[in-house]
Amino acid sequence: MEISGQHRFSAPRERVWELLLDPGILQQCLPGTENFVEVGPEEYEARMKIGVAAIRGTYQGKVKILDKNEPSSYRMEVEGKGPAGQISGDASIELVADGDATIVNWSGNANVRGTLARVGGRVMQPAAKMIVGQFFNCLEGKAGG
Amino acid sequence: MNPAPFAYQRAESVQEAISLLQEHGESAKLIAGGHSLLPIMKLRLAEPEQLIDIGRIAELRGVRRDGDALVIGALTTHRQVATDPAITGAAPLLTETASRVGDRQVRNRGTIGGALAHADAASDYPAAILALEATMTAQGPNGTRQIAASDFFVDFLTSALQPDEVLTEIRIPVLPGGTGWSYQKLANQASGYAIVGVAALVTLDGDVARDVRIGVTGASPVAWRAAAIEDALRGAALDEAAVTRAAALAGEGVEMLDDLHGSAAYRTRVTRGLMQRALLEAAGRARG
Repeated sequence: MEISGQHRFSAPRERVWELLLDPGILQQCLPGTENFVEVGPEEYEARMKIGVAAIRGTYQGKVKILDKNEPSSYRMEVEGKGPAGQISGDASIELVADGDATIVNWSGNANVRGTLARVGGRVMQPAAKMIVGQFFNCLEGKAGG
Repeated sequence: MNPAPFAYQRAESVQEAISLLQEHGESAKLIAGGHSLLPIMKLRLAEPEQLIDIGRIAELRGVRRDGDALVIGALTTHRQVATDPAITGAAPLLTETASRVGDRQVRNRGTIGGALAHADAASDYPAAILALEATMTAQGPNGTRQIAASDFFVDFLTSALQPDEVLTEIRIPVLPGGTGWSYQKLANQASGYAIVGVAALVTLDGDVARDVRIGVTGASPVAWRAAAIEDALRGAALDEAAVTRAAALAGEGVEMLDDLHGSAAYRTRVTRGLMQRALLEAAGRARG
């Protein structure tokens, strides 16, 4: 499954970079996160109760941050395991300055296995986009404050 | 597959259902016909810990006329919606839509309120509900409120209902005479879900369209009104050329779903084709 999108922050690029990579902020802004722990340099594990409306499950996930090129881009490797299947994938995040604002372009490629892969195709992509949207909206709030 | 373990409680009244929702919070789900919820529970896409069964609350059943509105109880099954003479008389678009929902089993068990509250992007009703400019009544701890169709479908699988609210009834304004209707759908062959569904209402004044309303479901993460096409056709003669020209612009600027059932480009083409058919059939019926 490939997904991508864009979010505009009314904050300078250095500030958005800081927020995107601050473990404390990530913990607050990743929807449904419980038990967020740093397990190594640039490597985090978390339990997330994640989903949209009725379709919700608890996933154990791992994120590794790679190829940091401050303040313009980085990559993430993501693994998740939950009741309805497993997800592994990687995401590229690019920060582009636009005056005093910042445009974040993100794209990801996820490999999905299990029930999610068989029956979730119809719901996964829009659900993933909604969750990413919630994450960015939360970050946006932090950027303003 | 079997669902994850859950507790079950039956509510005898809407009040009781609301208190139970408040008590159990996010871990609870209302169940009525169960034909949206149970399949996703069996797949373990959903694992509610507490089911609150509202399926036997008598006050949520039935169809009545209230002045210029038709009022449909949330627990009315798709089959009842498809066969009720009062609905056929006042809102035949809804009759036609309900008769195309899922399969026979789903229509016998599933309810209109359940389908709307679940807000599935591929559900049939949102197209007609938007075109009919229906109003949803929600009851919560602080009383009841009315939610317009245009505000009800918020996002993918997300309605405007709050977690402690129960959808109690759907109010549909009765349409003026001379209104034609049509629901056109491309169904997924396995599930019956709408890959795209288009509902159209056309009110004619002689040869000219006095009002045109179009709702589209299935194509996007959330159902939408084709307002630009409606504006283009209002006041126009609805002949084949005009309808084809207008429908060819459908979906511009709208985010389309892109999944294994159809790419975004395919869904756009299907939306345009179905919209043309729906408008022509509705215009034909308006002529009588």
